[in-house]
Amino acid sequence: MIQALIDGILLGGVYGVIATGLSLVFGVLGVVNFAQAEFLMLGMYVAWFAWHYFGLDPLLGSVLSFVIVFGLGYVVQRTLISQVLKAPPSAQVFLTVGLMMAIENGALMLFGSDFRSVNVPYQMAGFRVMGLFVSAPYFYAFIAAVVLSILLWLFLERTWTGRAIRAVAQDAMAATLNGVDTNRTYGIAFGLGVALTAFGGAVILPYITVSPTVGQQFVVLMFTVVVLGGLGSVTGALVGGVVVGIVQSVSALFFPIQLQNFFLFIIFIAVLALRPQGLIKGA
Amino acid sequence: MRNLLTPGRIAIVLFFVVAALLPFFVDARGHLLRVAAMVLLFAAVAQSWNIVGGLANQISLGHAAFFGIGAYTSTLLYLNLGITPWLGMFAGGVLAMVAAALLSLPTFRLKGHYFALATLAFAEVMRVIANSWAGLTGGPVGLTVPFAGSQPWLFAFRSVASYYWIILALLLAICLVFHLMATGAIGYRLRAVRENEQAAEVAGVDTFRVKLIASMVSAGLTAVCGTVFAQFTFFFDPDSIFSLSGISVRMAMIAIIGGLGTLGGPIVGALFLIPLEEYANAQLSSQIAGLSQFVFGVILVAAILIQPRGLMAFWPKRNATSTTQPSGDKE
Repeated sequence: MIQALIDGILLGGVYGVIATGLSLVFGVLGVVNFAQAEFLMLGMYVAWFAWHYFGLDPLLGSVLSFVIVFGLGYVVQRTLISQVLKAPPSAQVFLTVGLMMAIENGALMLFGSDFRSVNVPYQMAGFRVMGLFVSAPYFYAFIAAVVLSILLWLFLERTWTGRAIRAVAQDAMAATLNGVDTNRTYGIAFGLGVALTAFGGAVILPYITVSPTVGQQFVVLMFTVVVLGGLGSVTGALVGGVVVGIVQSVSALFFPIQLQNFFLFIIFIAVLALRPQGLIKGA
Repeated sequence: MRNLLTPGRIAIVLFFVVAALLPFFVDARGHLLRVAAMVLLFAAVAQSWNIVGGLANQISLGHAAFFGIGAYTSTLLYLNLGITPWLGMFAGGVLAMVAAALLSLPTFRLKGHYFALATLAFAEVMRVIANSWAGLTGGPVGLTVPFAGSQPWLFAFRSVASYYWIILALLLAICLVFHLMATGAIGYRLRAVRENEQAAEVAGVDTFRVKLIASMVSAGLTAVCGTVFAQFTFFFDPDSIFSLSGISVRMAMIAIIGGLGTLGGPIVGALFLIPLEEYANAQLSSQIAGLSQFVFGVILVAAILIQPRGLMAFWPKRNATSTTQPSGDKE
């Protein structure tokens, strides 16, 4: 049981970073990005190629994923998403759903449908701490996620751009009046959001194989995490991630593995129905 | 009273007449007729979706759940109890309505993104259940509808034309339901809810009841389409029938590309998309996997950016269903 809790926390920390990206995009742009999980897939591919051709460990390759996907996200926002920012939700939903299909199948065309995985020396390793087993790849991914979360927090709190992002999220008009270039800020926020998710994808590469359809496994998971924490809340997403990680690994103790996601969906619908504003934020 | 012979009505009637005569002019067992039948079937599904997505503007991304319920109910009743799919079709419809009612309880207050997310999760739940409850559903292997020659009583025919006409009749029936709902009192209430839910509530519209009726009707009709789909294709599995991009998004996309909330929209959308997809699959898939779906995604993005109101927006006449007074419905 305690073992399952530890596994859940290690897994959940990474879910947190993945979902933080989605939450950031919604919080700042007000758009639910259904294509978010595809950027996770792209992040995984970048890290895989970095490993395959340059022998770069995915934990370092994740930085490359972050940078490349950030650039891609910035362009996608400025060219496509910016056009529907003021459109009704249906237009936003279908724009990002279309993007999801295009990216997923674009990857299928470019990379083929094979599953690819990396070989790293610590893949099967682990530590024993007080009789409990801590798997090394999960542990390293968790540490990377924590480090990135701290950096994100510093960025949002301490830098001018970070403050601009928060300002735009609160009131875009007021931010403009105070000299913030909102369009550029939207682009940066979207790029940052998808880059966080891509980073999360890269650090889990040592224990999850990548294929063009890997994003599908994460769509509902990501939304569950974000909704648990409150759409738009960055800290909420981190906490939600840990909760979901624990639910997954503990439910696996009692129920067959196929039903793992079933419980997530139930939680997801229940939270949406009872507290759509998330569990953390006050009413 | 509106004129009975508006250009829009003439176009719709003309469409159905041409569609009904089509099997006499093409090879009755040929591929072309199968594609035409798929066009009609997806027009019918999209029209069912249009009742919730278009009239009430509740964007559902989980209608595959009802589609799958229809396919599974009729097929399982037939395989296990020998009940003809003609009856199973209605059993599936009723079951889907019950499911829609249950889903309405936690989701009726949700709007926009939240509603889309909740419905998406619901379809995923159905997919997971169908995959893991192998004792009932056959699990990931899927179900095959056994074919034993032409048995009209068991919804089995040798000629594609028979299926084609049944699907055409179904489309006609669903279009009538849509038209009646759009122009009837419930249509006014739904549009009132769509424009401003609180104002509608204050004006005396029971918003929960109105939305519940719309989603139940929509779900029931979608399930009937699911049964017909199962009989027509003979085979389905959980991942294809509960698929997000294959079913849920596709039916919404057809309605949106054609014109959300309009009677002709789903027909125009299906006439445009399904042959295009068929062509792309036939021409391109052999070369590069994923290309047709990629094109699909790109079209969706382009459609939203170029004309979010869909192809029907290019129709010269101002559209009757969307320009009638939006609310102010009193009893």
